[in-house]
Amino acid sequence: MRPKMSDSSDRTSFVFSDPSGRRWPRLRRILLLALALAFVGVVLFARTLFVTPQMRLPLNLRHLKGQLKSLQKANPAAAPKPVQARVPLWEKFLAARRASRKATATPPPPLVVRKAGTREVHLAFYRNGDPYSYASLEQHASQITHLCPEWMSVVNGMGDLQIDADNRLPKLTAAHGIALMPLLTNLLGDTWQPEAIENLANADSARQQHFFQNVLGALRNARAAGVVIDWQDVDPAYLDRIGDFVGHFADALHRDGRELWVCVNPGEPLALSDSDKVVEKADRFVALLYDETSEDETPGALSSRPWFEGWLDSLLADGDPDQWIIGLGSYGYDWTKGQPKADQISFAEAMSRASYAEVPGFAAGAPDYNPTFSYDDGDDEHTVSFLDATTFLNELRSARRKKAGGIAIFRLGLEDSAIWDAIPLPPNARPDARMQSELGILKGTDTIADIGDGEVVSVDESRADGLRAIGLDASGNFTATYKQFPEFPTLYHQGGGKPHEVSLTFDDGPDPKWTPKILDILKAANVKAAFFLVGVNAERYPNLVRRIVAQGHEIGNHTYYHPNLGACWPEHIRLELNATQLLLETITGRSTTLFRPPYGSDTSPSGLNELIPLKIAQDLNYLVILENIDPQDWARPGTDVIVSRVKQERRDGNIILLHDGGGDRSQTVAALPRILDYLATRGDTVVPLSTLMGTTRDAVMPLPQAGEHAMVRIVSGTGFRVLRDIEELLWAFMIVATALTVLRTLLVVWLATRFRRRANDFAEPVSVLIAAFNEGKVIAATLRSVLASDYGAGLEVVVIDDGSTDNTATEVEGFACNDERVRLLRQTNFGKAAALSRGLAAARHDIVAFLDADTHVQPDTLRHLTRPFADTRVGAVSGHAKVGNLRSFLARCQSLEYICGFNLDRRAYTRWNCVTVVPGAISAARKEAVAEAGWLSLDTLAEDTDLTLSLHRKSYRVEYAPEAIAWTEAPETVRALARQRFRWAYGTMQCLWKHRDLTFNWHYRALGWFSLPSVWLFQIILVAISPLVDFLLLVSLPFGIWGAVLPFVVIFLAIDLFIAVLACLLEGEPVIGAWRILPMRLIYRPLLSYVIWKASFRALKGVWVSWAKIERTASVPART
Amino acid sequence: MRQFVLGLVLVLGGSFAGCRKEVAAAPNERQQPLILAVPTNGKYTGAFIDFGDTEDNVTLDGIEDFETMVGKHQAIIASSSYWGEQRFPTRNLEIISRHGSMPLVFWSPWDKPYLQNRGPDRFSLREIIKGTWDTYIDRWADSARAFGKPMLVSFANEMNGEWFPWSGWFYGANKPVPGQPNEWQGPETFKKAYRHVVDRVRARGAKNIQWVFHTNNYAEPNETWNYPAAYYPGSNYVDWLGMSIYGQQVGGDDWSPVEPLITWPYDQMCAVDPTKPIMVAEWGVGEFPRHGDKAKFISEGLQLLRTQYPRIKAAVYWSERWQNDDNTYSNLRVNSSVEALAAYKKGIANPAWLGRPLFKPQK
Repeated sequence: MRPKMSDSSDRTSFVFSDPSGRRWPRLRRILLLALALAFVGVVLFARTLFVTPQMRLPLNLRHLKGQLKSLQKANPAAAPKPVQARVPLWEKFLAARRASRKATATPPPPLVVRKAGTREVHLAFYRNGDPYSYASLEQHASQITHLCPEWMSVVNGMGDLQIDADNRLPKLTAAHGIALMPLLTNLLGDTWQPEAIENLANADSARQQHFFQNVLGALRNARAAGVVIDWQDVDPAYLDRIGDFVGHFADALHRDGRELWVCVNPGEPLALSDSDKVVEKADRFVALLYDETSEDETPGALSSRPWFEGWLDSLLADGDPDQWIIGLGSYGYDWTKGQPKADQISFAEAMSRASYAEVPGFAAGAPDYNPTFSYDDGDDEHTVSFLDATTFLNELRSARRKKAGGIAIFRLGLEDSAIWDAIPLPPNARPDARMQSELGILKGTDTIADIGDGEVVSVDESRADGLRAIGLDASGNFTATYKQFPEFPTLYHQGGGKPHEVSLTFDDGPDPKWTPKILDILKAANVKAAFFLVGVNAERYPNLVRRIVAQGHEIGNHTYYHPNLGACWPEHIRLELNATQLLLETITGRSTTLFRPPYGSDTSPSGLNELIPLKIAQDLNYLVILENIDPQDWARPGTDVIVSRVKQERRDGNIILLHDGGGDRSQTVAALPRILDYLATRGDTVVPLSTLMGTTRDAVMPLPQAGEHAMVRIVSGTGFRVLRDIEELLWAFMIVATALTVLRTLLVVWLATRFRRRANDFAEPVSVLIAAFNEGKVIAATLRSVLASDYGAGLEVVVIDDGSTDNTATEVEGFACNDERVRLLRQTNFGKAAALSRGLAAARHDIVAFLDADTHVQPDTLRHLTRPFADTRVGAVSGHAKVGNLRSFLARCQSLEYICGFNLDRRAYTRWNCVTVVPGAISAARKEAVAEAGWLSLDTLAEDTDLTLSLHRKSYRVEYAPEAIAWTEAPETVRALARQRFRWAYGTMQCLWKHRDLTFNWHYRALGWFSLPSVWLFQIILVAISPLVDFLLLVSLPFGIWGAVLPFVVIFLAIDLFIAVLACLLEGEPVIGAWRILPMRLIYRPLLSYVIWKASFRALKGVWVSWAKIERTASVPART
Repeated sequence: MRQFVLGLVLVLGGSFAGCRKEVAAAPNERQQPLILAVPTNGKYTGAFIDFGDTEDNVTLDGIEDFETMVGKHQAIIASSSYWGEQRFPTRNLEIISRHGSMPLVFWSPWDKPYLQNRGPDRFSLREIIKGTWDTYIDRWADSARAFGKPMLVSFANEMNGEWFPWSGWFYGANKPVPGQPNEWQGPETFKKAYRHVVDRVRARGAKNIQWVFHTNNYAEPNETWNYPAAYYPGSNYVDWLGMSIYGQQVGGDDWSPVEPLITWPYDQMCAVDPTKPIMVAEWGVGEFPRHGDKAKFISEGLQLLRTQYPRIKAAVYWSERWQNDDNTYSNLRVNSSVEALAAYKKGIANPAWLGRPLFKPQK
């Protein structure tokens, strides 16, 4: 038997060869053309996304700013109230108090001697949930001695409390040495609960004690210094009983080392300071000397000079002034004509209104010194009255003159920030240059001012400083002359609608399951709603979009992929909006000017950065629609909860947010009829958003001009479809790939654990073939290891020098002289396969072992390697190659890779006789079988794989001998590794192609249906596609699908780790090394993919790949 | 077997329902105009709820909050329609009706600022009789007919007092009518005006209205000429007899136990018309812990109303708190104290107090 020697110059007969050389140019032309077309398509599509739709919004909806107009009206505050003109209330109050004292013949209470406050008290009122309140507290903590945050309400006559505390405060106040004095009111929601206080005062002591303990418990939790009580609306008929009750309360607090401060509201029927008991027991009174005109009265002064002075005199007339803290206001009211209640506004908001309405400068001076102005918002007249740093300074000086114990500031977050400069001013301060700069310059800060009413918002980011002149008039009061108003970032609100109008909005649809149900319900109730559609869903279900519009509802833009806009670049936001807009135009033939940001649960933006997305949308001519009735139906809290939340929030809100997409909306569907029924019963009319805004549906959903954008819409429509197809393909691919990987892993593991070793004796002589090309550095060590074998049945070593240009031949000859078992054959360079063929021909024995020139064997290797040949059906045996040069990380990784490959795959494949390759590094074959398989062919780069598959064709078994260990040398540089893997990849592809009839061939069962498809899928296709998948995933990260992808990544890595650990266990290697599998992925994934693509291109081109072997370094240490 | 029993129950239940005259159907599902049925067993419970500053501003939130508080749906919800507003309170009535309650409207001919003890204004009984306000009455009636659902109207209530501008006291009081013994100018003027209004409204076809003749329990002054009988416009003009029963309302008054406030006026009212059902169209008491026990007043009141006066078929509690001229408050709310609320809750929890109105076809 002699192998057929192929003509070494015949390089055209290899697999993939293209003798004519036409395949590649033709293919390249086709590829280039396709690429060019795709590129043009992408460019066209991308261009359409940046075309901003031309939307013609009614001007009055877009430019609210321009609608504010100054109104010249008489100062309502200056007009004295008729009742006051006769006998001021404070005089009545004082007279009544003195009269009652006389009547009951009680002398004025003795002045309780208090430890004189070493420091003027600066109590600050704080509002829960107002970020500006918190910011102001942080900023001015050093000037505040006591903090009074909203904290507790008395719910009922049982003394139960509703506690709504800001839990950041105990720590913050402690850090700044501020005494925490939580507020205890009888206000529940918007309603004072006089009964709660009256009942408690009339109750037995057990119930009162219960109440005291409740309060004490809350105060202890808060580490509070005491409590401030503000009880209003209480019947003065109960004064004596309430006085006693408050006295007991004070006792209980004092026993606990805490203080009781009592608010006194001028004009309240019940003044606790009238009770001797309270005067005796309370630590402080806080006189709230503001709200002269309350929010539910007609416009007037908030604290005019005469009013303030009158009350200050009356209240402090008979007592110890140090017991009194004087509450000074710094805030404003905006009264809308025709509405029952004013809006409380901050100083900044008052300034914004004045600035945007272009109110001419005005002066606040005698007699009331209370700044006020009027404006018109296009629909209604407004009157604004506010208190500023000048009123504050006047009042502060009065309080100090009276030797009051201190001041209270109402309230943090609303105040004119200049009051903080006013507090440290000396008593004799005059309006000099310093005061003009401290109090006169109005800084336009980042505070966001809100103007208007409703959840349709627009933003004005302008900011500018303003100016007022501080004066001192003849009566010794400071005056303010506003010359220029500062501007603050402003949020305009519109869409407040009429009192009984309410709008329904649905987000995140359309959804094929829930949207039709909701549409049916709305139709039955004859109600028009607004649907804020997500682009991807609209693209998927265009018919639903058309149905929504056809039924008369409004549609709005809810972005394309529903990202969190707070984390998006401006360009991305524009893309999201434009893409969705184009899509909706394509589907419905209408534009939409309505936009709602995703995750818009924060309905009142408090930071400038939160305004950016709104600003972008606004610049694209959108109306930003927020919501104020949010039952959070998406969280599926239960139908009853959804309905009751709507009921509760409808009291203050007029835009309901529900969801028709994004998950199981059965609860929303169940709640909707009940909500509609409730609204109808309530006497509400459900109106479209456009009605709420006082305009028409056509105005908010304009019809594009004829022909406008037609081409653009076609291109973008196609683009969206392709994008979606790609996305779906990607998902399908991920799922299928993951499933197959998991299945294969389980199968391999199961088979590998069922691997049985052959235990028998086999003793036939063996020929070891080593092909060597420039192996001078390593060949000697290799030969030594082979010759040291304990193989007893006869051994010869045939080295075929494939035309080496180094000292290989010399080295081998040295051995041949001393040991006749070694033979040297020489030939000119034909390649490894040719060399091995030559060796095969020369081999004397029937069993032939193949060994790489750089691979060392152990003394028992050959014994184990040949043992399976006892079975005559066995045609070839794979040895167990291990990495010998563990010097570098790269080599260690390869070692791990080998461990995994040999211990799992090969064991498993052997079990089903479907090993695809016996490695050229260490393997053995029956010469007779090789001959039958057609010797070694020269038409592939992977003669080992080729031979293995050929043996399978001849029905030989291919086995694996795990104990037949050989130490081989792994590439130590990435470049060398890439070259090696490229050769393997190319060879593997050649073999797969050459033997393609085996794949999915019933005749070869496990080989055809398991191991060869595995190679195709897991070594070629998946590896080739993976970078594409990686790229698309990276691109899609900003769109928020990372969460959906993560499980797949985790599964893949977990499988890798699982396999590595198992392989190490089987191998007896330390398990700890298995971690390398994770970073290994980072190197291998791109590298393998690169070589696969390179090999594929080479294959298509039909180019021969030369025998590129690694640079030998002789780094495998000799083993014995 | 189970199916048989089920069928039997259905048949029996159906035949039972068929026997009853009253139909417990929602008023808007009717074929012909429905009116409030007089319950054979039990009595309706209702309330005037403190909706805020004005008496004619009904909100569903207010109703639901009140019902949650007292633990029972209200068969009757009272509200006002003042002539000074010159409009029909469709919105209020729709809310009450859709909520499943029977609206009781105090249709009061007076003008802003709606303060007591001021005497007749432009809506005086004489102007009404003269026909000055016929257009308004017709418009109001048309709106009532358009509203279409059953409603109770108490026109010019408590006319036997001296605080409202429509009281006989202001229209000649006890001056005799020449030639007619037992007739006095005050009551006679009232009757004329009452009949004038009812005739006009009926002429516009507002058949969904049932009329309540609504007096104060004790006349003021408590003299024969001022008794309810003197004001009674006649059986043809009245569907229900109504009375206001108040205990102490302001601090300066005296406390009275509840029984004498009801019994004598009840007997007096029964004599006015022997057949008409009676409703306590308003009742309540202030919270004055030093004077009397409001909780006791309420629980006794509910107990007596439920058991002692067979012709009383409804009781509407006036739950309001207001401020008086001397800055003190009158707190008639059911929740003026924990004890009062507990007593009211417990009292109306008795199933004899019906929380849902029953309707029957008209005639």
